[in-house]
Amino acid sequence: MNADNVESLLEEFFEANFAEIQADRGQALAPYVRDTAFLQVQLYWRRLRDIAERVTETEVRLLLGGQRTPEGRPFTIEGIVDVVREEQKVTLYDIKTHDAAYVRDNVDQYVGQLNLYAHIWATLYQDVLQETAIICTAVPEVVREAMLSGKPELEERALGAWQPVVPLPFSLDNVKQTVEEFGSVVDAIERHHFPPRSLAALQSREVGQKSRFATVICRNCDARFSCPSYREYATGSHGTVESALAVYLRDYGDDPDREDFTSAALEAPVNLSDDDL
Amino acid sequence: MYVGTVHSSCQRLLADRKLLPPGKRQKPPRLLDDLDQYLFVARRGTWTLLCEKAGLDAASAATEITAFLGSRPSQSKHEAVTACIALFNRLSEECIDPNPLKDRTSDSTFKKLLTMYAAYLELLKVGGSVPQTDFALLQQNAVALLEENPDAARRFKHIIVDEYQDTNSIQERLFFGLAKGSGNLCVVGDDDQALYRFRGATVENFVRFPERCKTILGTAPTEIPLVRNYRSRPGIVEAATRWLNAYAWKRESSEGYYRVVEKSIQPERSATTASVTKPGRAKSEVCCAEVARFVAGLVRDKRVTDANQVGFLYPSLKSAHVTRMIDALENEGLRTYAPRAQPFLATAEATDMLGLFALVLGIPDMGFTKGADWLSFNSWLRAARRRAIQLTTEHRGLAAFVTERQAEVASARSDFDRLSRVAEDRKWAKSDAFDAKRMLRVFAEQPGLSGATVRNLLSRRLAFALERRWAANRPHTVLYVIQRATAIDWSLLDLFYRLTAFPPFPEMFASAERSDDPDEGPIANLGLLTQYLSRFMDRRAAIVSGELLQDDRFQRLFFFGYLYALYKRGESEYEDAEDPFPKGRVPFLTVHQSKGLEFPVVVVGNLRKDDKGATKIERLVRPLIDSRNSEPLDRLGEYDIARLYYVAMTRAEDLLILPEYKGAGCQINEEFRSIVDSAAPLSAAANTVTITHGKISGAPGTYSYTGDYLAFRRCPRQYAIFRTFGFVPSRSQTMLFGTLVHRTLEDLHDHLIRQRATA
Repeated sequence: MNADNVESLLEEFFEANFAEIQADRGQALAPYVRDTAFLQVQLYWRRLRDIAERVTETEVRLLLGGQRTPEGRPFTIEGIVDVVREEQKVTLYDIKTHDAAYVRDNVDQYVGQLNLYAHIWATLYQDVLQETAIICTAVPEVVREAMLSGKPELEERALGAWQPVVPLPFSLDNVKQTVEEFGSVVDAIERHHFPPRSLAALQSREVGQKSRFATVICRNCDARFSCPSYREYATGSHGTVESALAVYLRDYGDDPDREDFTSAALEAPVNLSDDDL
Repeated sequence: MYVGTVHSSCQRLLADRKLLPPGKRQKPPRLLDDLDQYLFVARRGTWTLLCEKAGLDAASAATEITAFLGSRPSQSKHEAVTACIALFNRLSEECIDPNPLKDRTSDSTFKKLLTMYAAYLELLKVGGSVPQTDFALLQQNAVALLEENPDAARRFKHIIVDEYQDTNSIQERLFFGLAKGSGNLCVVGDDDQALYRFRGATVENFVRFPERCKTILGTAPTEIPLVRNYRSRPGIVEAATRWLNAYAWKRESSEGYYRVVEKSIQPERSATTASVTKPGRAKSEVCCAEVARFVAGLVRDKRVTDANQVGFLYPSLKSAHVTRMIDALENEGLRTYAPRAQPFLATAEATDMLGLFALVLGIPDMGFTKGADWLSFNSWLRAARRRAIQLTTEHRGLAAFVTERQAEVASARSDFDRLSRVAEDRKWAKSDAFDAKRMLRVFAEQPGLSGATVRNLLSRRLAFALERRWAANRPHTVLYVIQRATAIDWSLLDLFYRLTAFPPFPEMFASAERSDDPDEGPIANLGLLTQYLSRFMDRRAAIVSGELLQDDRFQRLFFFGYLYALYKRGESEYEDAEDPFPKGRVPFLTVHQSKGLEFPVVVVGNLRKDDKGATKIERLVRPLIDSRNSEPLDRLGEYDIARLYYVAMTRAEDLLILPEYKGAGCQINEEFRSIVDSAAPLSAAANTVTITHGKISGAPGTYSYTGDYLAFRRCPRQYAIFRTFGFVPSRSQTMLFGTLVHRTLEDLHDHLIRQRATA
C-alpha cells in the first residue's frame, strides 16, 4: 500500500472529523491544538505503521455484564480497544493520547485496566489473549522539535528512538479484586457519595509528577471554585482569605491556554445576527 | 453494535462508513434539537422570510396561524412559532411532501402553512454554513440512506426495538428497512402505554405488528406475551386494569379492537396491605395537607429511603393543584423539585446567578413594551439584578469581584473602539491583511489601552500565529487582531464558575454534599444552567469580545435574544429529557416524564382531564395518510386519557394515592369513580402500609474504566459535578482533542482493514 496515499487520506479523514465535531458541537479547536492533534495521528502512522496495518478490529466495545456490587446493584463494565488478531496470537491495544513516559512511570494506574480488559476478552470469546499494550500517541518534545527542524535524518532518528508502545503483561489473578473495587465505586456513585479529596491529597504529588495534585488536577477543574478543600488549599498559604481568593479567581489558566481558547473561539463558525434580538 | 435512541442511531447511521463505498464518506447534517429548532424558526430573519414566502402579513401572521392551529387566536409570535413547529414536525414524520399538496388543498391558511413548511425545508438545506436537520427530518434522512443503499439492510444481523408502541410511521419504515436483510426484528412494547401521539406515534404499528411482518418481511413473528407485572402490588394492578376496562375498545366498523385485549396482566407480588388509598374528600387545600402530612411521616420515619422515592404525577404541571400540593409539602418541612412547574429561569439558583451576570455585563435599555411575555421577563430580570445588588452588599469579596469584571467589560469595549479608530485614521480597512511588522507596534503603543489588551497584543503566541499565517499567504485580518486583543479573558462559563466561590452558591453545593439530609435540588439546577450557558456559547457567541460589546450587542443577544426565548418557551412538559432526581426533594413530574420510571409511592395529583377531542394538527393530517386501521378521530382524546392515567397508576410499586378534591370544577373523570370509591382511606393506611425498603432495582448501569472508575477515584466531587449533575466544563478542548484523534485513527484502521479485505 502506498504510504503517501495513506498520508493524504489521513489528512482527509482528519479534516472531515474536525469539520464534523465542529458542526456537531459548534466549537472549534485552537489552530495550535489542532496541529498537535494532527501531528499525533500522522506520527502514529509513520511510527506504528506495522501495528496499524495489522489491526483486525478497531474501536471494539468490550462489555462485561452481569456484575454485582458489594451492595447488590447490577452493573456492566465497558471498555474500548483495538485488536490485532493473528493466527497464533491476539493482542489488545488501548490507544491513549497520553505521554508514554508518564504511562511507564505510572504503570500501576493502567495495569488494572488491561487486566480487566483481558478478563472481559476471555469471558466474551472463550479465548485467551497473548498480549496487551498501551499505545501512547502524545508526541514527546524531542520528536516534535525534530519534526520542526526540517532535517530528515534528525526526524528519522527521533522517530526511531521514540517508544510509544508500552507493553503491559497482564494477569488474570487480580481481576476479581479489580472488579470488586470497581463495584464499590459503582455503589458510591449510585448512593451519591461524592466527597471532595482531602487537603492532604491536594498537597501530595503523584509518582513521576513534579507538581501537586492541586496543580495538575484542581487547577484544570472548574469545580475548584466551589470546592471546600481547594479553598482551604488556596487560601491557606496567603495572608488574608479575601486576597487569596482574588488571586485564584483571577487565574484563567496559563496564558497559552487562555489564548488557545480565544483563538479557537474566533475560529468558530460565526453564527451571529441581529435577527436574534 | 448500536445501542441508543432512534435519533442517535440515525445520526450514527448517517455517518457510518460501513454503509458507503471505501474512501467515500458523507457529512451528516447538523442536528437541531428542540430548542435549536425553536431558536432557528423564531429568529427574526427566519420568521419574516417564512411568513413572506407563505404570503402571510407579518403583523397579523401570529393571529392567523394560532386561530387556525390553536384553540384561540393570539398575537404572540411565540405561540405561532410553537404551533408551526408542531405542524412541521408532524408533516415530516409522515413524510408528507408539501408541494403537490398545497395545490390540492382548498383551505387558504393551510395552503399558506404548507408553503411555509416547504420554505422551512429549503432554508434548512441552504440557510446555515452546513446543511441542517431537525429530529423529525433526521429519520427521513436515515430512511433515504437505507432505500438508496441496498447494502444497508445487511449492516445489522438483529434489530431490537423497545417501547415499540411509541413508533411513528417513519420509524416503522426505518426498522423494517434495517431488518429487511436478516428478517430478524424483535419488538417489545405495551400498547396501553402509548403516549406519543403528538409526535406522530401510532399504536397501530404495535397492535398490527404481526400483519405488518407478514406483508413486509413475508414471515409471521413469534409472539411472547409478557403478562406478569413484577413491579406493583396486586391492588394497583387491579385498579389500573379496571381503569382501562372502563373504556370501549371495540372497533365499530370491523373485526377486532383498538388495543391488544387478549392479555390479562397478573401481579407477581402477593397481596398484603392496602395499596390503593385516598385522603378524605375535601377542599383541595385540606386534601393536599393530609397527603403532605402522610408523606412527611414516611420520610421522617425513614419508611422510604429518600424524599425522592415519592413521585407526584400530573397530566400537566401548570395547574393550581400543583402549586397547592407544593405549598402543603413545604409546610411540612419537605423540599420539592418541580423545575417544569415554572420557567426554569425563575428558580432561585438561575435567578441569583443570572442577576449577577446582569450586574457584571449591564442590561441595556429594554425599549418599548412588547406584550405580556416581555413585561413578565422584564420584571424577572430587574428583580434578579436587584437581588444581585443585595448579594454584593452582603459580601465584600463578591462586590470587589463584580467591580473588577465590570471594569474589564468597559475597557474591552473602549479598547475595541480605540483600536478601530486607529485603524481608520491610518486607512487600514478591517478586512486588510494584518502586517505585524508594520502594524503591531502602532496598536500596542496607543495610549489609554488597558494592560490586558497590550499584553494580548504583545503575546508570543499571537506573534507566532500571525507570522505563520503570513508565511502561508493566508494572513489574519486587521479585525481579527483587534478582536483577539480585546476579547475578555473569561467566557460566560468562566464567570459562572468563579461566581460559585461566593455566597449563596457554596451553600448550594454543600447542601448536596452533607451526609445528613442532603438536598441536591440546587446543584441539579446549577448543572442545568451551565448547559444553557454552554449552548449560548456554542451557537451564538463563545467569547465576550470587544466588538460584540459595541452598542451592547452581546448583552442584547444574551438577555433579550437568548434568555428571553428560554423564558417564553418554558420547559416542555412532554419531552423525555433526562431530568435529575435530586436527593432530598419530592419530585413533581408530568406523566409523560414518568414513563419508564417507578416509585414506591405515587400520588396522582389530578384525576380530572377533559377530552378536548383530536387536535387540529391531527385532523389536518388524517386525510393525508393511510388511516384505514387508525383509531377514529372522535375517540383519540378519550384513548389518550385512558393510556395517560394507566401509565401514571402503574408507576407505583407499593402505594398509590388518589386524592379527590371537593369544590367547583373539581369533579374527577367518571372512569375513576369506582376505583376511588373502593380505595382505602389514607388515614387507615398510614399505620399499616409497608414500603419495600431500600430495594435496589432498575436496569444495570454501564460504567467505563477510565470515564467512571478512574475519574471517580481521582476526585469523587469532580466526578459528581461533571458526570452526575451534568455541569459543562468551561474548556472542552481536551475532550474534543481526544475525540478527534480517536475518530481519525478509527478511520485509518477501518480503511486499512477494508483495503486488505478487498485485496
